[in-house]
Amino acid sequence: MTNQTFDAVSLSIMWDRLVSLTDEIVSTLVRSSFSTIVYESYDLSVVVLDAEANSIAQGTFGIPAFIGSAPVTLRHMLKRFPAETLKPGDIVVTNDPWLGTGHLFDITMMRPVFRKGRIVAYTISITHLPDIGGTGFGSAATEIYQEGLRIPICKLYDAGKPNELLIDIIRTNVRVPEQTMGDVMANVSCNEVGGREINAFMDEYGLEDLMPLSRAIRGQSETAMRAKLRELKDGTYRNRIKLEGFDGPVEFAVRVDVAGDNVAFDFDGTSGCVRAGVNVPFCYTNAMALHAIKSLTLPSIPNNAGSQAPITVSAPVGCILNAQPPFPTGGRHAMGHFVTPLVYGALADAIPSEVQADSGMMNLINFQGSRRDGRAFSTLYFASGGYGALNGLDGWSTLPHPSNMAVVPVEVWETLTHTTVERKELRTDSGGTGRWRGGLGQEVVLRNDTGHPLTILGMGNRTQFPAKGVFDGGDGTLRVHAVEGKPVHAKGRLEVAPGQRITVTEAGGAGYGNPRERDRQAVAFDVANGFVSREVAQKVYGWQE
Amino acid sequence: MYRIGVDIGGTFTDFALYDARGSKMAIYKCLTTPQDPSQAVLDGVKALIEREGVPIADVTDVIHGTTLVTNAVIERRGAVTGMLVTAGFGDIMDMGFERRYDLFDLRIKYPSPLVPRRLRVEVPERVRFDGTVETPLDEAAVRASAAKFEELEVKAVAICFLHAYAHPEHEQRAAEILREAAPELFISSSADVFPHMREFERWTTTTVNAFTQPMFDRYIDRLEKGLASIGFGGRLYIMASSGGTLTTETARRFPVRALESGPAAGALLSAWQGRALKLPNLLSFDMGGTTAKGALVRDGEPIKKYSIEVARVHEFRQGSGLPVKIPVIDMIEIGAGGGSIAELDARGLLRVGPRSAGADPGPACYGRGGTQPTLTDANLVLGYLDAGFFLGGAMKLDKAAAENAIAEGVGRTLKLETMRAAWGIHDLISEDVARAFRVHATERGFDYRSGSMVAFGGSGPLHAASIARKLKIPRAIFPVGAGVMSALGLLISPLAFEVARSRRIHVDDIDAESFASTFATLEADASAFLRRAGVADRDIRITRRLDMRYQGQGHEIEVSLPDAPSAGPLFAGMPELFAQAYEKSYSIRLDEPVEIVNWKVEVIGPAPSLGEGYTLTGSAGSAKARKGTRLAYDPARGGMTEWPVYDRYALTPGATVTGPALIEERESTCVIGAGDRVTVDARYNLIAELGS
Repeated sequence: MTNQTFDAVSLSIMWDRLVSLTDEIVSTLVRSSFSTIVYESYDLSVVVLDAEANSIAQGTFGIPAFIGSAPVTLRHMLKRFPAETLKPGDIVVTNDPWLGTGHLFDITMMRPVFRKGRIVAYTISITHLPDIGGTGFGSAATEIYQEGLRIPICKLYDAGKPNELLIDIIRTNVRVPEQTMGDVMANVSCNEVGGREINAFMDEYGLEDLMPLSRAIRGQSETAMRAKLRELKDGTYRNRIKLEGFDGPVEFAVRVDVAGDNVAFDFDGTSGCVRAGVNVPFCYTNAMALHAIKSLTLPSIPNNAGSQAPITVSAPVGCILNAQPPFPTGGRHAMGHFVTPLVYGALADAIPSEVQADSGMMNLINFQGSRRDGRAFSTLYFASGGYGALNGLDGWSTLPHPSNMAVVPVEVWETLTHTTVERKELRTDSGGTGRWRGGLGQEVVLRNDTGHPLTILGMGNRTQFPAKGVFDGGDGTLRVHAVEGKPVHAKGRLEVAPGQRITVTEAGGAGYGNPRERDRQAVAFDVANGFVSREVAQKVYGWQE
Repeated sequence: MYRIGVDIGGTFTDFALYDARGSKMAIYKCLTTPQDPSQAVLDGVKALIEREGVPIADVTDVIHGTTLVTNAVIERRGAVTGMLVTAGFGDIMDMGFERRYDLFDLRIKYPSPLVPRRLRVEVPERVRFDGTVETPLDEAAVRASAAKFEELEVKAVAICFLHAYAHPEHEQRAAEILREAAPELFISSSADVFPHMREFERWTTTTVNAFTQPMFDRYIDRLEKGLASIGFGGRLYIMASSGGTLTTETARRFPVRALESGPAAGALLSAWQGRALKLPNLLSFDMGGTTAKGALVRDGEPIKKYSIEVARVHEFRQGSGLPVKIPVIDMIEIGAGGGSIAELDARGLLRVGPRSAGADPGPACYGRGGTQPTLTDANLVLGYLDAGFFLGGAMKLDKAAAENAIAEGVGRTLKLETMRAAWGIHDLISEDVARAFRVHATERGFDYRSGSMVAFGGSGPLHAASIARKLKIPRAIFPVGAGVMSALGLLISPLAFEVARSRRIHVDDIDAESFASTFATLEADASAFLRRAGVADRDIRITRRLDMRYQGQGHEIEVSLPDAPSAGPLFAGMPELFAQAYEKSYSIRLDEPVEIVNWKVEVIGPAPSLGEGYTLTGSAGSAKARKGTRLAYDPARGGMTEWPVYDRYALTPGATVTGPALIEERESTCVIGAGDRVTVDARYNLIAELGS
């Protein structure tokens, strides 16, 4: 069966089935998880890899940060534990930012899938743990050692037997041992389900070896991707953006070489690391670059090694997009998310009709305190800025990009924390003007009604550098964090006294194209609904009632 | 003593007339009248009773299912609707979940809110999470809003206040004031419609209710008057999405509960068939022209849930519709049906659906100008459909056009010969449906391998056996009257009403007394709807369910409590029931505190009986059941072979057919594979035991 080929029907059927079984593994993981960041925000990934460590299917749901990281982690794991030494029931684990996904919070677990005594595949699951010790989720650390427990590549299970010492070490080092171990075990069981499902799948289609199918899937993906990349105009494209670091601005630079059906990204010219937990290990940079190019070219094709083959990514060692230990990386997303607008900006001239104007991006704030009844809580508040406009599509209000999340409803948030949301409103004129308007940001006012002091850890961006419009589109408005009306550092750690108010003002998305060319009915609709003020409509859009 | 079920679908309005004395069922179909759907209902009722010689005075009940409410939302044909909302929170409707349902598709789409921002009026008032009042309702502001709504030409208003599920008084008072100030307004309030925590979903549900209320009210009015004018003196009931029926009074108040009532009735009849056949676990499968719907039946009852998405705007994608919270039969919906178009996907491989050729132009073989290959074209080319016997011969199909569409549309580019491409289209759809069932069942801890599949709809019987085989389900059932399943299902739906309320509490923080009293309030609310319909207390069955979880988890498990007159005595056993349910799903028990999130009560009136079953009028066996043979595709051999063809209406109870065979009925063809064995049961259902 080694030279087996598949026609367009069989390949479609088996491929869809493989993605679907990967989604079933995700579903098992999500439904037994204890952390909102997994079950609400899908900060997770599940990947099926072939016996040669090529990824062949990735769960449909998950966040972009994990694209392409699993095969690299697996290769590191196989260096430590060569395939021929692995046994059924082994589970290998690590949370090392440089071997895994860029920060200590993500645990990566791998389980070999045996069939008739031979490894035919590997499954990998990754989730963001509720806690990993150290300073807690945020950007406050100055060295990786402050950020929590770092687990080298080791076995959590050896031939089905749990590694009690490791479990003890994890329990002892985290603030919420039950929930953390609950999530670790959710990973264990979902990988077991994965092994079972893969064997059932192979039974069903009479396969003894996944390599021919893997080659067919990767080959088909690569062909489709290359065909799409050939549509890009050859050339070298560059972009450079400024964003907030911790104490001052940081610069990101990219050079994109498009040559035939290959694309190469290089981040030379990017600033060095900073002494705050916002440095980005290369695996994260790589994932965000892959996400950017995929979303511009072939968004609907499933993720696997094949679709990534024509793309290379590099960044100089030691720059903030290829951070090295001991720089801290806890809030690496706060910086890493800017790889997407950086790349879109670079490619605006290569594919003007496909690029998106900058988005206001999501915002994560870690809230730690006690409820009125004294019970402690540590939870994440999410709010989103506006979505950047595209050619032919206004940006959606309060929709995150490039990463994703789900807002916690006001009613649930108040019940969980005993804080009060005084209002949550769209900001008129916050979306960048344009033929296609940017999405609106929002303003949320939270009051500390818990009766206790509240600690908030911010990881906010776009407080100095707005979402940039494209092709004469306007910029979005900036993000502001304030306490009692006074602006505060959006990446800082703050104490909020009982009765005090926190105002979170979310950035607007940017516009696309000249606002004077905007459809007049669309302007009238925006004015009638207060998305755009009368003044801006007249002044910028040239609107007459 | 006759009862009539009427189900309005997109193309046809279906009728079923049940004679309780003779256990006889008569069915009838006529074209739907989109301008005024009540017209087809009245004409059809008249035609059916005349045909059967039944005096209208002998008809006691008309039970009605309709997609009217769903369609009004999809087509945005509702009233100009306003919203009265807690100050500072009206924009929640534009913000939604603040989440993308697709990570890569930059051109993602969401439905615009039913109430645009300019029609939302904010009023000062605020209830805290625990139900206490922080800011009292500003009654003057509510009164002033009436004039504002009039100026905006608003006809219906959704009153949506934060935490109203914990303290409905503000919404109630606001409704009172608005009714006084503007008596002609239709008013819905969120705690009344569905008192569930999570404002965006509850408020969206309330706006759907308000938006459809004036239209549905007029419709029921026309229907009642029309039925009265032909002499009907019985009761009219409206089918709800949950599988129960509502009085017209309740339905007028909560039209949102009538979303998707037709498909719910189909699943209900599957469940009933299963009970009659002593097959308690089923996969109910309905495939028509554009979509396939599936439901799971566990221990004789369809599995339910409390959320549904309507009016999806992006390729049936989950997340692209309006989220509505109501009790519904838990359905899978996928964009797969006879009209589904086969094409190349972004990978360069074959894909079928969700794009559909619909009914117009329809599949290439309809000869109405369609050129893209569809599932129906494939089934015709494969010989499963007969070009001369489509809809019982009412419509001629063009086989050459179908072959051409498949060859040109996908065969050439994908280097597949036409027959291989046709089988690919057929098989891909079967795989898609099987996959959807597999995921759906796994997520619900349902062991589908021990179940049976019940298939209906125009395209369901063509694929059921092959889907069942993929799922390793041993049996497929082709019920009698499959073409009007929903109309039949209406006849067995009991009068019922369900309420659910969010009240999150640790199990340790309550006692038997407060447990019982929380339930008692809900029981009284729900029972009132049945009492008003004349159901005696002794005939009301109360079922109680709780959504529970370990503290810190985000997903709840539904725990059904045993039947009891009052909830108090059930308190002690409740934590153990949760632990058992959790263990059943996740094979593990945890040593974590347990909390209750939602409280649910359903009150159910006596279920109408179909006795031991029914036989269709006009079905009579005949010796000449076998019509002949035709060439059809045999996947095992990869080519065309001779298949025997049977006339379903001529098969008599006890008859057996061994596959391969095609059993034809007016609306569809049952494809029976080699190795399968079909028995005709006493009520003319076909039961296929599937070979491996």
